[in-house]
Amino acid sequence: MIDPAQAGLRESATFDRATIAAIQRAAETGVYDIRGWGAKRAVPHFDDLLLLGASMSRYPLEGYRERCDTDVVLGDRHAGNPLHLDIPITIAGMSFGALSAQAKEALGRGATEVGTSTTTGDGGMTPEERGQSKHLVYQYLPSRYGMNPDDLRAADAIEVVLGQGAKPGGGGMLLGQKISERVAGMRTLPAGIDQRSACRHPDWTGPDDLTIKILELREITDWQKPIYVKVGATRTYYDVKLAVAAGADVVVVDGMQGGTAATQEVFIEHVGIPTLAAIPQAVQALDELGLHRKVQLIVSGGIRTGADVAKAMALGADAVAIGTAALIALGDNHPRYADEYAAIGSAPGFYDDFQDGRDPAGITTQDPELAARLDPVEGGRRVANYLRVLTLEAQTLARACGKAHLRNLEPEDLVALTIEAAAMARVPLAGTSWIPGQGF
Amino acid sequence: MVALNGSSVQELMKVDLASTSVRELNAELHAPTARRYEVHNPRGAEAIAVGLRHAIEVEIHGPAGYYCAGMNMLADVVVHGSVGTGVAENMMSGSVRVRGDASQSAGATGHGGLLVVEGSASMRCGISMKGIDIVVGGDVGPMSAFMAQAGRLVVCGDAGDGLGDSIYEARLYVRGRVGSPGADCVEKEMRDEHVAELGQLLADAGLPHDPGEFRRFGSARRLYHFAAHNSAAY
Amino acid sequence: MCGIVGLHLKNPALEPELGRLFVPMLEAMTSRGPDSAGLATYDAEGMHVIKDVGLPRDICAAHDIAARSGHQAVGHTRMATESAVTSDHAHPFTPLADLALVHNGSFSNHASIRRTLARQGIACTTDNDSEVAARFIARELTEGADLEDAMRSVLKEFDGFFTLLVTSGTQFAVLRDSFACKPAVIAETADYVAMASEYHALAELPGIGDARIVEPEPERVYAWSR
Ligand SMILES: Cc1cc2nc3c(=O)[nH]c(=O)nc-3n(C[C@H](O)[C@H](O)[C@H](O)COP(=O)(O)O)c2cc1C
Repeated sequence: MIDPAQAGLRESATFDRATIAAIQRAAETGVYDIRGWGAKRAVPHFDDLLLLGASMSRYPLEGYRERCDTDVVLGDRHAGNPLHLDIPITIAGMSFGALSAQAKEALGRGATEVGTSTTTGDGGMTPEERGQSKHLVYQYLPSRYGMNPDDLRAADAIEVVLGQGAKPGGGGMLLGQKISERVAGMRTLPAGIDQRSACRHPDWTGPDDLTIKILELREITDWQKPIYVKVGATRTYYDVKLAVAAGADVVVVDGMQGGTAATQEVFIEHVGIPTLAAIPQAVQALDELGLHRKVQLIVSGGIRTGADVAKAMALGADAVAIGTAALIALGDNHPRYADEYAAIGSAPGFYDDFQDGRDPAGITTQDPELAARLDPVEGGRRVANYLRVLTLEAQTLARACGKAHLRNLEPEDLVALTIEAAAMARVPLAGTSWIPGQGF
Repeated sequence: MVALNGSSVQELMKVDLASTSVRELNAELHAPTARRYEVHNPRGAEAIAVGLRHAIEVEIHGPAGYYCAGMNMLADVVVHGSVGTGVAENMMSGSVRVRGDASQSAGATGHGGLLVVEGSASMRCGISMKGIDIVVGGDVGPMSAFMAQAGRLVVCGDAGDGLGDSIYEARLYVRGRVGSPGADCVEKEMRDEHVAELGQLLADAGLPHDPGEFRRFGSARRLYHFAAHNSAAY
Repeated sequence: MCGIVGLHLKNPALEPELGRLFVPMLEAMTSRGPDSAGLATYDAEGMHVIKDVGLPRDICAAHDIAARSGHQAVGHTRMATESAVTSDHAHPFTPLADLALVHNGSFSNHASIRRTLARQGIACTTDNDSEVAARFIARELTEGADLEDAMRSVLKEFDGFFTLLVTSGTQFAVLRDSFACKPAVIAETADYVAMASEYHALAELPGIGDARIVEPEPERVYAWSR
């Protein structure tokens, strides 16, 4: 084979190889491409921001020795029993069905070990995850698969899901390969069918009706459970205001890079706004209502490192949630499966066919043999380790900025490397006082 | 709240929503000190008698608003009046009987129990139902039994357009006209077992119709897999 | 995103009672729309519009709405979605001397229709999506359509979710989009037609127990005239 670059061949920027493959695939099959993971295109992100460490005008804290607290209370606006978490990094909702029971259990174990919460997903609550999760958030989704009021009462918080960053305005999907007997039973569906979930809730539409739905959920749980509202990032400023007006205790904003188990590729790449752009909109909405830090903001979509955590919090988030990164911590896309990825037409670092159920790492599968590869105890240990590293990294950065608590990071601690990031995050371009896009 | 006799578990408690809040009512119903409740002056209030989980009887005298008897378990609730959106939504067990009409999304996503609407139910009756039985004495509005997964919907009057659109395994019985069946919903043969289960449902609901007057609808199961030839239906 | 109510009296004997009957209807919709409220009443002199920021109860009291007489009233409580909370943004929108529109829902293509109207010299004064529908209907009426036809044109041009209540000096009309997700209930007796987002707004009306209650079907215009 010749090396195209050596031979002076030129690839089209418009019709690059991925585009050509997509057109050929569409022509072959007649159905759109469905995959997992999140947006793969480059968008302005936390890497485009830097923190201003202390030097002369500000005083840093000593690493390890001087305290930098990380705890957070979620949902104390209306709920009798708000969540008290030791770290502001939570595990996002991922369904049993999308993930194996072992993976769900591992996430619960990992989160519990470091004192944070995990979340159910589209498909109900499994006893394994309830059992292993000290703080479990129960998702209330349009499909209402497996929705059981006893589980609602057994949960520590309720998350009403309007949308996800990967697909704001779209419903869920789970392809037949993953609808095992157990998954089918929990969802009241025939095994093996390609399942599509609704995109709107069956008994309310819009914030005025959501107000009444939240009232019902509060009445059922005797005003004890925090109620979150999760939205995919689009018109975030309005959505956050409306979620608060409808009575949310916590708003979860999931940026367009956010992961998914199975969504149309076109949806993943072309709908929503980046996490970086969504946070300032959400904070502005809360600020204008006088409720920033009173109604908590959880941000997700592309959180990978403690730097991302620190920067999200500096922009005004009270906590973050992770999906994809938690799966990677469990072993997703690990090079040790290179041969097996190759056998299913993928490679470590590229694998995104979560919809397919043939995950060599045994995470996004319902195949008993593959799923058995993941030991929930060992998986839990890895997740806990990873969460600890995120926390330590965030603390390192916060201490450097002179903060004895992560929540005291603020937008003024940040500068941007690019004009795009400066405009979206509403922080100045490094070395200037210029925040593009203000005043429009 | 007025208790009508003195023992620790009373027989009957009357609650007047003109002077008691829905919060106080629901708190009482969640830890009941009586076996039967009469609720007066509901005036269309929202979230009345939601989240019940004891085998108690609740009679509501007058119209109730959104989500009346939502997520019911074990209790038997009767509404002497009409109900708003989402009556008995996500019911698990027990029964809810509406002596008047029901608004949208009656019995939505219900997993079990019996919902009887003696009058008519409007749009999206039985949407995403997952095992609940619903018997409607009158008509149901458009898009009823949308994405219905399991359970049975009996309509003694007419059904609006789009009946059973994208239906899974729920069974629908209609006595009157069907505006139009939705995508993947087709008329199916009434076999003996269907006549028998329908007869039982009508008897449970106390609606004395001849099962022989009904037609059965269900899924053609053509949309169970994503495929190019179905793209017009998505 | 809101609550809407309307009352169309058929029995002239009730006309002195219009405000007294109407105020509880509007107040019942407070939780659906706590930001601002507005209403229009119709009497022999024409249409009278009040819009204000705040709770319906305070607005009705400040303007002594309970004392008003007339043959028709429409009202709206607003939970602002994408435009500002000001009295200008409150419903009803009243582009003609006797035309009032209230809307619950959210249009998805109003920006394009707004531009089309602007090209024809019809300018909206707010960025509210409902105003576009009001001006669109006003254009149809001005060009000679009757109210029912004008409402049917809304179905052809507007995308999204809506329950609309539109009134003129003599007419009272209700329309829902094809999905009909936003709630609506109509009660009719020999004395009146009443419409609301939720039944409990109608609960205090005289004779409501015996009224004929319907939930409007999707894409069908329900109209009454005197
Ligand atoms: C495998 C998988 C399954 C998911 N399932 C759900 C779900 O059931 N409900 C939901 O609200 N979000 C779901 N999500 C989205 C996550 O909750 C979260 O918003 C997202 O993963 C955050 O972005 P990140 O992956 O970049 O961390 C899922 C994500 C993944 C990767």
